[in-house]
Amino acid sequence: MARKKLRILLLSLLPLFVLGFLAFRAFENSAAYYYTISEVQGKDVSEQKLRVKGQLVEDSVVYDASIPLLEFRLTDGNSYMKASYRGVLPDNFHHSEEVIVEGTLHSQGEFTVSKLMLQCPSKYEGEE
Amino acid sequence: MSYVGMISLYLAGVSTLLAIVLSTKTLRAKRDSLAKWAHRFGAVSTFFIVLATMSLIVAVLRNDFSIAYVSRHSARNLPVLYKVSALWAGQSGSLLLWVLIMSCMTATVQKMKRYQENHLYLRLGIVMHLVCLLFLVLLLFVTPVFERLVDIPYNGSGLNPMLQSLGMVFHPPLLFLGFSGFLVPFALAVVGLCTGDTQGTWLKQVRPWVLFAWLFLTAGIVTGGQWAYNELGWGGYWAWDPVENSSFFPWLTSTALLHILLLPEHHRSKRVWSYTLIALTYALTIFATFLTRSGILDSVHAFAGGVLGQVFFAVLVLLATFSLTLGVSKRHALRTAGSETTGATLVVGSVLLLMLCAGVLFGTLFPVITRTFAGREVVLDASFFNQLSVPLFLVIFFLMGIAPLVREKASDRKVLPRTLALPVLLGIAAAAYTYSLQSGLAACLAFGLAAFGFGTHLRDLFFPRSRRHWGGVLVHLGVLIVLIGVAGSSVFIDDVLVSVEPGQEITFGDYVLEYQGLRARYGSDQYTVTTTLAIMENGTEVGEITSEKTFWEGRHQPSTQVGIFSTIKEDLYLNLAGWENQTAQLHLQRFALVSWIWVGSWVMYAGALVALLKGGQVKLWSRPIR
Repeated sequence: MARKKLRILLLSLLPLFVLGFLAFRAFENSAAYYYTISEVQGKDVSEQKLRVKGQLVEDSVVYDASIPLLEFRLTDGNSYMKASYRGVLPDNFHHSEEVIVEGTLHSQGEFTVSKLMLQCPSKYEGEE
Repeated sequence: MSYVGMISLYLAGVSTLLAIVLSTKTLRAKRDSLAKWAHRFGAVSTFFIVLATMSLIVAVLRNDFSIAYVSRHSARNLPVLYKVSALWAGQSGSLLLWVLIMSCMTATVQKMKRYQENHLYLRLGIVMHLVCLLFLVLLLFVTPVFERLVDIPYNGSGLNPMLQSLGMVFHPPLLFLGFSGFLVPFALAVVGLCTGDTQGTWLKQVRPWVLFAWLFLTAGIVTGGQWAYNELGWGGYWAWDPVENSSFFPWLTSTALLHILLLPEHHRSKRVWSYTLIALTYALTIFATFLTRSGILDSVHAFAGGVLGQVFFAVLVLLATFSLTLGVSKRHALRTAGSETTGATLVVGSVLLLMLCAGVLFGTLFPVITRTFAGREVVLDASFFNQLSVPLFLVIFFLMGIAPLVREKASDRKVLPRTLALPVLLGIAAAAYTYSLQSGLAACLAFGLAAFGFGTHLRDLFFPRSRRHWGGVLVHLGVLIVLIGVAGSSVFIDDVLVSVEPGQEITFGDYVLEYQGLRARYGSDQYTVTTTLAIMENGTEVGEITSEKTFWEGRHQPSTQVGIFSTIKEDLYLNLAGWENQTAQLHLQRFALVSWIWVGSWVMYAGALVALLKGGQVKLWSRPIR
């Protein structure tokens, strides 16, 4: 009986081990650390993949469609951060107050965006 | 109109409450005379919820902007179809639609002949009405749907152009139908356990409902992906976003549940498994609502946070505690004397689906976990989910491929090598062909397993044992077609950004595209810039592709309509990124086999319908597999 119980225990632990292994293996290169704009300033986080959330600074958006290159500034109320994104300007970019960027920070405090995330239009409530 | 709606909601709430009280009284005091009234009040509450919904729809159609909800989600010049869909464009409206669906479902269940025995319909009614009541309370006091504006605007702010698409008309109602459908199996299981049903009759009753809910949930998920692909312009249909994942969790657990229900009646752990999965699936639909309404995670869908999230969290905790307590206290009823252990493949498959669910759940909640325990939020991107899920999916597809074979009786096992020959050959051929296209191991395995699965399912497709069996085979084939589409469109992709002058030609894949310039079109409150490219293949024109950008008066945000040229082999995807005079910047993408996903999903729906409908009526599945 004890052996049978042990077998059941091992059998039920197996999926957890497999899952843990898969998750551990998948973790590499896919983790992005959340920082606020104030935290990013003056910190050495240049090696890490970061995710930063901020308000889009009105009138800071410069878009060159021929490259295409999108440059803008984000703020969290205290500090500002320059960001550049090589890609097509999304439709709802100007409309989005809150922008989440993922990418890396350069020594000059400029942020290279690899992934640009905006609030989806299906957001419920709080529009006005 | 708002008063009609408001009063209807109040009356609906009161009659729901009365229905619950009277049902309880009938069962407690065994007074059958009350049963009639309990039933009537249930029907009355459904009537008032329908009335409330109708009055909101009428208000939208009549441009009654005195209702805050209408002014926020509709406008005078909105086409009628999108006016109706404004009903579920916002939070309170979608809750109203949701409670409407649940209430209609409750009324249907209470009317059904098979639930009349032993006051079963009253017991089910209590559980289902309680949930309806919760939603009604939310609609009346937390997010009042008929809230009025003091300053009535002349026009509403309208529906976001991105939401003005057919996908968005169908996606939310389908999803809500799926979510609410899982309430019935949950009610059946809870009532079955509470009444001390040791025969496990409830187990036989849940199947059609699980299948019904699963069908709509699947359709809801697919239409959501299709909308993203057609409208959002980034060329994808699935991004492992928290909101997308949240509808995927109950899908995974209900898929596992459908397979567990196939186990023979005397299987040792069938009841425990079924009860756990039913409760888990229902809890996950509530969890999905919590995730999307609480704002605890950053999502591209970004729903606002607030009280609603807390309410749903409380409900979730309550539900989990209740289900667990009930399960533990009634564990003798969940135990079967039988010792049969056939159907190991089904159990292993279900465990794999649950592992997938747990893994995706872990990844989705990882930001919350790290925020709570490490003080720094860490987000996992799509590559995490892909790396985690692909190996599990591949094993699941392997099991799916061998599913028709493990059903064989021992006597048929002798001819197994012969039955296996064709599928294995197909699988190897597909894998080898994929390898020759220089793609990775995962792609080779995916295409190989898909071909193998087709091979093993072929015989059952033409010689099914029963209609129900045929339905299951169709669903499997649909899933395999979707697999081909997903694998193709994730591996064989092409992406270029070009700047072109009128008359210039672009070579893209096997195609040559001819850019002829831009045209402008003016409407009363908008103007549109359009480009149409002729598509040439081997020197002959095979079609054209159009992308346009519309600028609206009074809206800062333009809306881009992507152009999609779809063939069975691949999709061309054109996004008009920008322009200067007549020089246009075009974003061209190519995804292989995308249309297979949509075709496969229709095969899945057809299969589920075949399995659900028998002789024109919904019939219980009770035949266990051999």
